[in-house]
Amino acid sequence: MALNRLFIANRGEIAVRILRTAKRLGLETVIGVSEADRESMGAEMADRAVVLGPAPSAKSYLDERLIVHAAKMTGCDALHPGYGFLSEKAKLASLCEEEGIVFVGPRPETIDMLGDKLSARTMALQAGVQTVPGTDHVATIADAKHAAEQLGYPVVMKASAGGGGRGMFMARSAEELDISFERASREAENAFGDSRLYMERFVERARHVEVQIVGDGEGTIVHFGERDCTVQRRYQKLIEEATSTALPIRLRRKLHEAAIRITSFAKYRNAGTVEFLYDVDRVDFYFIEVNSRIQVEHPVSEEVTGEDLIARQLNVAAGQGIGLSQADVHFRGHAIECRINAEDPFNNFMPAPGRITAWTPPSGEGIRLDTHARMGYLVPPFYDSMIGKLIAKGRDRSEAIERILKAIRDFRLEGPNTTLPLLSFVATHTDFRENRITTRWLEDKGLPDFSKA
Amino acid sequence: MTENEKKMTAVVKPEDIESLIELFEASDWDEMHLEIEGLELFLSSDPKARIAAQPQHPTATHASASAHAHATTPQGMGHLAPPPTPAKEVSSAPEGCIAVKAPNLGTFYRAPKPGAASYVELGQSVTADMEICLIEVMKLFTSVRAGTAGVIREICVDDAEMVEYGQTLFYIEPA
Repeated sequence: MALNRLFIANRGEIAVRILRTAKRLGLETVIGVSEADRESMGAEMADRAVVLGPAPSAKSYLDERLIVHAAKMTGCDALHPGYGFLSEKAKLASLCEEEGIVFVGPRPETIDMLGDKLSARTMALQAGVQTVPGTDHVATIADAKHAAEQLGYPVVMKASAGGGGRGMFMARSAEELDISFERASREAENAFGDSRLYMERFVERARHVEVQIVGDGEGTIVHFGERDCTVQRRYQKLIEEATSTALPIRLRRKLHEAAIRITSFAKYRNAGTVEFLYDVDRVDFYFIEVNSRIQVEHPVSEEVTGEDLIARQLNVAAGQGIGLSQADVHFRGHAIECRINAEDPFNNFMPAPGRITAWTPPSGEGIRLDTHARMGYLVPPFYDSMIGKLIAKGRDRSEAIERILKAIRDFRLEGPNTTLPLLSFVATHTDFRENRITTRWLEDKGLPDFSKA
Repeated sequence: MTENEKKMTAVVKPEDIESLIELFEASDWDEMHLEIEGLELFLSSDPKARIAAQPQHPTATHASASAHAHATTPQGMGHLAPPPTPAKEVSSAPEGCIAVKAPNLGTFYRAPKPGAASYVELGQSVTADMEICLIEVMKLFTSVRAGTAGVIREICVDDAEMVEYGQTLFYIEPA
């Protein structure tokens, strides 16, 4: 079941990335673009570009009916959703299936099941992978104390009906719990009309680690190593690395095994990433969720394994399986990726769309730039602000850091403000070099230091 | 450089005008009228639209099937960057006609159902709210109205052909 013509239902750098591999593999390509992306690099690279709708995503990239109609009418037999947009909406995957177009990704039912955080957690537990230890409803202060003893302080109490970080109270000891419990119940009642609370272990110092996998849809999974994405601002990743040298090797192996267990249990098909919270103090990890798509930071895994993950995706989609076994995957060196956003890091990350007036990207040993931007490109205001990903590979983490620093400094980019100065600052920071960062580091220390520099 | 020209280039650069034009084209606005010290910019998707106080010498016009720009200072003169290359369709537009464009990508149908008579034929007179074709997306049909009263001078797409957003379907000579 070889694929002939691939429809790319995305834009920006990931469209270019997919097109690069698709062309290399000899596939014909069609890209669906919005009016604003008519002249984009992706539109130029594809054999054909069709304009789906006007610039707003809702009328173009988020309309699965326009996308599938275009794919059908242009004779495509497969569709790649990229990341973001409709990549994790079962409706696009379903519609493709109904119309006889191979969706380069998991089955719709898998997307649905893993998209629901609660059902994903249940599945993880069934697969024997631990989630953040927690309780059911905690009714009384006595129950709360008992639960806290079991979980181990510090603990956090959350409103059952809450969400988005609201209705959460932390306690480091039984005394603090005495005070918090009543407050938490009352606040929950006021805010959500439901005073019920549950409790979880509070992870004071966390790292974000994730494992790249590819599944054949029948239970066989191959992993491509872990990534460390601890440098974050408001839950958005800025810098990602492979491998996660901050974790002991035996723990990294356990992560890989856990990721395989969960996705094998789900008979996961195509590429995916299993996310974990790493508890620095307890030296333990907890399953968070599965991202059932190719991710922004996939290049770092490619660099340390020498693999082409988009090619693996197309392989699975073509019905040819993963194409290799775990024994064929080897890890060498270290890779770091910096996301370059058109935002002003000196002005609260205000989006800075505009035309690129100077563009001299860095080059050199171990440097890779995944981008759709170029000289004269007008960064549009309609979509996310990422204009490229700068990746540096080295024999070890130190060399990768040196290379990415040099690359950032060599990068001449004028026009829109970008986050390059911040990325440079972080890569030079002792905390980052010594890798003693946590997910709160950038906001609590990195950014304040940056604003004082 | 005249005083006005100096004023204009100081406040708004040609590149800004270009960017505004591109943003306007990419949007689904019909009209934009912008006044910033020393500059008045009027963009419209209707080639016949004009702003109220029309100066003697409209300056660089950005000619394309979709947007016409008149940028002037209140005194009527200013220098702008050369207009970007017009869209391909301009050269084939019959003179004085208005393009009816696809509101989204889909399959173009000339008749309400297979075998039925077409909504319109060449040379036919239409009113502004007459249905002149269908666009189908995944079995969902939306009709497109003429938008202008006049005569169908050109039918640009074949029945059951896929059209893209913004693609010209018909040319109508306004009544």
